[in-house]
Amino acid sequence: MKFVVLTKAAVPLSSAIRIDPKTGTLVREGVPLTANVWDRDAVEFALEMRDRYGGEVVAISMAPPTGILALESLIGMGVDRAILASDRAFAGADTWATAHVLAKTIEKYVPDFDLVVTGEETIDSTTAHIGAQTASWLGVPYLYYVYNAEVRGRTLIAKRFLEDEGVDEVYELKMPAVISVLRSSQIPREVKLSRKLTAREHLQIVDNSKLGLDQDCVGLRGSPTMVVGMSPAAYPPRKRIVISGAPGEVAKKVAEVLRELGVVCAVSGLQ
Amino acid sequence: MCSLWPPIDKSLYNGVWVYLERDGHKLKDVGLELLGKARELAAKLGGVEVGAVLVAAGRELAQEAIYHGADRVVLIENPELETYTPVEYAKAIATVVQKYKPEIFLIGATKRGRELAAYIANSLTTGITADCTALDVEPQTRDLHQIRPTFGGTQLAIIKTPHRRPQMASVRPGVFPKPPRDVGRVGEIVVERVEVERKTRLLARERRVEIDVDLPPVESSEVVVAGGRGLGSGEGFKLLAELAKLLGGTVGASLMAVRAGWVPHSRQIGQTGKTIRPKVYIAVGVSGAIQHIMGVMESKTIIAINPDPNAPIMKNADYAVVGDYKEIIPALLEELRKYLS
Repeated sequence: MKFVVLTKAAVPLSSAIRIDPKTGTLVREGVPLTANVWDRDAVEFALEMRDRYGGEVVAISMAPPTGILALESLIGMGVDRAILASDRAFAGADTWATAHVLAKTIEKYVPDFDLVVTGEETIDSTTAHIGAQTASWLGVPYLYYVYNAEVRGRTLIAKRFLEDEGVDEVYELKMPAVISVLRSSQIPREVKLSRKLTAREHLQIVDNSKLGLDQDCVGLRGSPTMVVGMSPAAYPPRKRIVISGAPGEVAKKVAEVLRELGVVCAVSGLQ
Repeated sequence: MCSLWPPIDKSLYNGVWVYLERDGHKLKDVGLELLGKARELAAKLGGVEVGAVLVAAGRELAQEAIYHGADRVVLIENPELETYTPVEYAKAIATVVQKYKPEIFLIGATKRGRELAAYIANSLTTGITADCTALDVEPQTRDLHQIRPTFGGTQLAIIKTPHRRPQMASVRPGVFPKPPRDVGRVGEIVVERVEVERKTRLLARERRVEIDVDLPPVESSEVVVAGGRGLGSGEGFKLLAELAKLLGGTVGASLMAVRAGWVPHSRQIGQTGKTIRPKVYIAVGVSGAIQHIMGVMESKTIIAINPDPNAPIMKNADYAVVGDYKEIIPALLEELRKYLS
């Protein structure tokens, strides 16, 4: 079976974030990128399925050349091969234009895919759009928040958890399909250094001369959404009132604050 | 312009529409909250129609939508759509949106809403912005300002969809207020039968019994008492739970406390967990790493209890309480009980 893992080479949280003043998009060039942490659940999920059913896992990412670093560590985890879709023309893409490139890369380089696996969302953009958009481009069914699955013939039996409803569901999907993996639901395997060192042999970089996509349908120009303004988020200023002293006195003062805030009510105390 | 975008006549797109998600035979609040915002946007656009889309629901729910601000409700009917499945629902909703051509289409960013939203947008060859915290319109261009926190919550981005219609955005529950229910409001209910090709099927559904089921989730509580590594052990959370219950709130945790295995991941607050906006946030033994602070910035009041007056959380608090929680919280519980009796 052929498993595709879509991964984002994300700007690490610790890096100084730079924004292109002209486009309002995040600058990813020249920043050492790491695989989105929540994609590790997706990678583990795909590797585990490959180990069970045989076949190969192909990791695909759209990023500037520094995205190689992220893919190398996934190869170190055991991904069979990786494809980096990289072209200046892809820069500044919104989720529509990103899913476009990813789906066309899948169609061209893994046309016989059985299952596309993504992380729940990315840590830097948190839209959770790419899975559904890729499914739409590929014309296949999809399911989010999956933590367990098995293949029966040409169907996938997938278990998922909806955190906000506290509900588990089991679905049957016709394959090929796209799933996103519930974050923290897997225990990602370690990166093997010996394999990571040979990663370049399993890594292919494709630019738009190979994909042949309309320049107006990729990157910033091919994005239906456009960032028109950016401002530092304004949060309520904090009072910074220090309360210290003997525990009994401190407790009295805190109790008074809570009463003033109106969160101490007879109803809540009657349980 | 991208050759894959079918040419559209923007003037044919009118009205602000909302997808209303059901929880069984009840409308989820987030859809009603969006109806309230839709009315406001529709007024700014010159009094255009506010519409709602409901899948496999009865007229009673459609009527509720009208009471909460809808002028027209489309009921998608098909016995095949009685139970929710992502691809079939997304396609059915997209079909109806395509037919009625609203200029703006909003979706509640519940887990199911997030699953549907981007597929619907792609089916309509339009863009979508996730998790908007504010929405506004430019009356001249009729462009929707989709405002969302980005880059880890440090920035607010204003996003537009200038060339495509409808303009789509998702909004998390609780961001906008729920409009009042007005039984005097009238509106039209339209039934649409939409055919689906079945590719997904629900086989089983079960509510999970969580260990801490007696405490509400962190994202929907007015008071959240969270613990961090400074608690020293999982035992400390019992005290926190007592305090939370007394304040009608719930318990949360920092990444460190979750990593230590003291509390389940679903209670984690911060950039890699939940973003919360409670009335009162009480951080106990939480150092206040930037990733944690980002998740609580929108709290109305922050109270931090920490032995270290220089811990980063103390600089980001309204009340920085210096001391040992093992002494302060029992004394605080006593004070509160005294007051309540």
